Amino acid sequence: MSISEETARAHVNDPAVLCCRAEKGIKLTCHNLEDPAIFDDLVDSGLLDLTGCLKIGQVIGATLLETCDSLTPLTSDKIDKIMEQSPTEEKEEAKAAVETKLPLPSGSGSIKISIGEGKDILIEMPVSASANMGPAADNTPKPEKLIRSLKRKHYKITKVERGPETKIEGTTLFIREGIEAEAVESQELVHDLKIEVITPDLYHTYSETIMDVQPIATKEKGSELGSGCTRVLDGVVMMVTGTDDNGVQIGEFGSSEGYLDENIMWGRPGAPDKGEIFIKTQVTIKAGTNMERPGPLAAHSATDIITNEIRQALKNLDDESLVVSTEEFNQYRRPGKKKVVIVKEIMGQGAMHDNLLIPIEPVGVLGAKPNVDLGNVPVVVSPLEILDGCIHALTCIGPASKEMSRHYWREPLVLEALFDPELDLCGVILVGSPQINSEKFYVSKRVGMTCEALDVDGAFVTTEGFGNNHIDFASHIEQIGMRGISVVGLSFCAKQGALVVGNKYMTSMVDNNKSEAGIENEILANNTLCPEDAIRAIAMLKTEMSGGSVETAERKWSPDVKANNLKLISNVTGKPIVPVENETSLPMSKKRLEKYS
Amino acid sequence: MKYKILLKQHIGAPCTSTVKEGQRVKRGALIASPTGLGAPIHSPFSGTVDSVSDEAIFIEADETQSEEYEKISGENVTDLLAASGAVGMGGAGFPTHIKCNVDLKGGYILVNAAECEPLLGHNIAQLESNLEKTLEGLKILMKHCNAAEGIFAIKAKHEKAVAILDKALKDEKSIKYHLLPDLYPMGEERAVVREVLGKLLLPTDLPSAADAVVINAETVLRVAEAVNDKRPVITKNVSVAGKLKKGKDTQVFMNVPIGTTVGRLIEMAGGIDGEYGEIIMGGPFTGHSVDPDTPITKTTGGIIVTDAFEDLSGKRVGLLLCACGGNEERMREIAGRMNGTVGLIQKCKQAVEVKGTLKCENPGNCPGQAEKCLNFKKDGCTDILIGNCSDCTNTVMGSAPKLGLTVHHQTDHVMDTVGHERMRHLTKSKQVQADITSSGDYEMTRIIEGGMLKIRIKEGKNIHIELPC
Repeated sequence: MSISEETARAHVNDPAVLCCRAEKGIKLTCHNLEDPAIFDDLVDSGLLDLTGCLKIGQVIGATLLETCDSLTPLTSDKIDKIMEQSPTEEKEEAKAAVETKLPLPSGSGSIKISIGEGKDILIEMPVSASANMGPAADNTPKPEKLIRSLKRKHYKITKVERGPETKIEGTTLFIREGIEAEAVESQELVHDLKIEVITPDLYHTYSETIMDVQPIATKEKGSELGSGCTRVLDGVVMMVTGTDDNGVQIGEFGSSEGYLDENIMWGRPGAPDKGEIFIKTQVTIKAGTNMERPGPLAAHSATDIITNEIRQALKNLDDESLVVSTEEFNQYRRPGKKKVVIVKEIMGQGAMHDNLLIPIEPVGVLGAKPNVDLGNVPVVVSPLEILDGCIHALTCIGPASKEMSRHYWREPLVLEALFDPELDLCGVILVGSPQINSEKFYVSKRVGMTCEALDVDGAFVTTEGFGNNHIDFASHIEQIGMRGISVVGLSFCAKQGALVVGNKYMTSMVDNNKSEAGIENEILANNTLCPEDAIRAIAMLKTEMSGGSVETAERKWSPDVKANNLKLISNVTGKPIVPVENETSLPMSKKRLEKYS
Repeated sequence: MKYKILLKQHIGAPCTSTVKEGQRVKRGALIASPTGLGAPIHSPFSGTVDSVSDEAIFIEADETQSEEYEKISGENVTDLLAASGAVGMGGAGFPTHIKCNVDLKGGYILVNAAECEPLLGHNIAQLESNLEKTLEGLKILMKHCNAAEGIFAIKAKHEKAVAILDKALKDEKSIKYHLLPDLYPMGEERAVVREVLGKLLLPTDLPSAADAVVINAETVLRVAEAVNDKRPVITKNVSVAGKLKKGKDTQVFMNVPIGTTVGRLIEMAGGIDGEYGEIIMGGPFTGHSVDPDTPITKTTGGIIVTDAFEDLSGKRVGLLLCACGGNEERMREIAGRMNGTVGLIQKCKQAVEVKGTLKCENPGNCPGQAEKCLNFKKDGCTDILIGNCSDCTNTVMGSAPKLGLTVHHQTDHVMDTVGHERMRHLTKSKQVQADITSSGDYEMTRIIEGGMLKIRIKEGKNIHIELPC
């Protein structure tokens, strides 16, 4: 794409190539030239041969001798003379050249510029009032301020059985027989629902695509989501799976059906841990509704009838001796420290990806609003709301990169930032990823404005998608970066998800990929954000915020970049970082063998 | 015969009906008034009001219609223009009396006769057949807006119309014409200003920033009718083209009553010749698909019947959005009708969103597209669908085919229908052939880039710049 004068100055010694057709006789300017940043790709694709090509500094100001088409390298026979000076030097020598950078007065009034006579006049000024005019920041340490706390009480479950009523006795969970019929009855689009209890010895069981993995938790009476006390069952998770009447997986491309032990990346924040019992629903929805929003939502809502009955049983327990452990999360504001925010781009494409926000119960349905209905606009939540299940995720496709409901319950970046004494984490912004491009930019501008209003020093932007999702992902980063805020992006990219768009603020990026081949391999949660990614992102953001810069990675994807990142960080912190395992630790499924190897 | 007169024929909120069911109306009678920004609507027929809905007034027209009409009244030009219901007939539909309520302080009225959408021909036909009335309208506007000069912007290829203009303007001191190259989108408002006055406006600027009003040729004609003949806007000139039994050449129909259906106009043009792909209302670039029952409005310029769409058999197709072509919805519609699977969607670097629609920062001058093409390739697209202008399309053709991407242009099915060349490589010069009118001592360009306002002046004297801060 054509370049600005600033870019031209930065690239005076790079090759000069026409970006578009230019007519004979024109005087060349930066607007005729292609951005050198894409030349490597162009050369690789055979679109460009730079042999004999002049430098940008040698052609600006020269006259074109013949009409040339786009991507023509400018060689000495195509211009009237080789310019010896770089554009900057030329400007300095021009008669009565004026180049002033004025600090804008902050008061009212107007700027008046009068020039009697002049040449090559360039006036540049910020469009909005200039920032950083105030006195230097006060550096005296200020005490931490506790905003709120969240307590989790853990109840151990070792056995799940069916019985006449849903109840918890000791470490045994009983699920009422016949509850399936009520779950089916509750949703018009649900035609059938089966419950399977998967214990570790049954992990090699075939399952339809896994639509969600959810913690089973409830608020104690009097507590609200995001604060107070939450009760949670250990050793057991809910798992939503399903197809439509015709046996079509509820997933567009990329679904995780198959033997459970071959398709789950154990221990990922969003996945089950090895040893846990799954209460797995297999929901059958009306034929053809698997690709529309109401279908998957019905499958989730039907499952929640069962989950909710377990929540009630858990809520009604009054035997404190059953609590095996407690955890406490404190949300501190740390005045004087670098203020940061986490922006999480969540799915909101309207067809099947949606997220229910802020239910009454952790990862519940009741009381929640679908972010698609909220227009996908940014919604600010506290870090503790995230950890308390304020997102009920309806993610059904691209299982390796999508964040399950459980992911947020154990969100590594939120946890790392929350506990980092050097960071003042002020909140988490959830923003949906709409389907239509104009809406993508609509929401990303709101993200920019929100960050501006929060007046943060730095921001993390995460996404769970790739391809079209990268358009808004890039735009969020741009909107934040253009406001002078340091920003780090986290996404699955690698080979298959290589960024399709970019901008000058996308300099610090963390690739969430874990797969060997750098692809979306349909292994549940394989390529999602893990602690090692959070650590890298925080290290990068701190570097950026303190005025440093992150080195440009090699152009081709290589897992070595990540390995080096981790090595550098552990060298500084003195703490070893052991990367998580990937799909190679799982038994090879037939699908993976045929499709991905 | 019953006609449907739409209540929304302009920018802004729909009008509200001022007539009731069963009421008799004469041709030209006021039937609806604007509720905010807008223009009144008059009955194109004498007849009886059949019914009124939120969307339209239905009128049962009398068997015989006369040329007579109920006259509008007003004290001055502004009142008459407001009463006539005149709106921008080039497609924008902005109320003329508001647009022209401006003091140009000796500036310019630019008559937009670029007619730059392919296949349209009614503006040129109007200049060829009734230049006199158009000149009357221009003079009214020049006086009304305090403009020193009136300039027709017309493509050089319309030799006959240019010759007529040349002859007619010989003795006119303050009216001239400016020749445009045969490129799309020379008729875009800011492109007209740039080409004729040599000033590049910001996408958010109105032409008044260059002391100019840009007004469509037919609107100028309607201004003369409103002021001199007290005639409300009840008819529209329309071009009909495409897959028609009378042949593929564009047929022009002058003074078609508003409310006439697309189907009726197609019949008048000979009827559809066999199977067809779609009917476009408007031009191939900015028009939209309609059904035959749709009535024409004050802003309808063209009706085009196309061949069937190409079949992509589910191939992954990337969409390149820009201000010149269809919006995302239209591009998705075309990709869908071509049976393509939509992949990556990108917009041109120069397309910026202004009030919900894309505007081009420098219409008709490409900012480069190689990176976009690389991105489509990376996304796994095999095909791309573009709606770009002549220059940008040429640039896309410079890289996409070499990357193995098959290029489709949103106008392909239209161009194929009428046997015109598809939009691909540029074979004409981008250079403007005529003189550039410059005002003042210096030329100034203003751009906003990366949050900075940049003002550039190559050379000049007595430069005064004042900015609020």
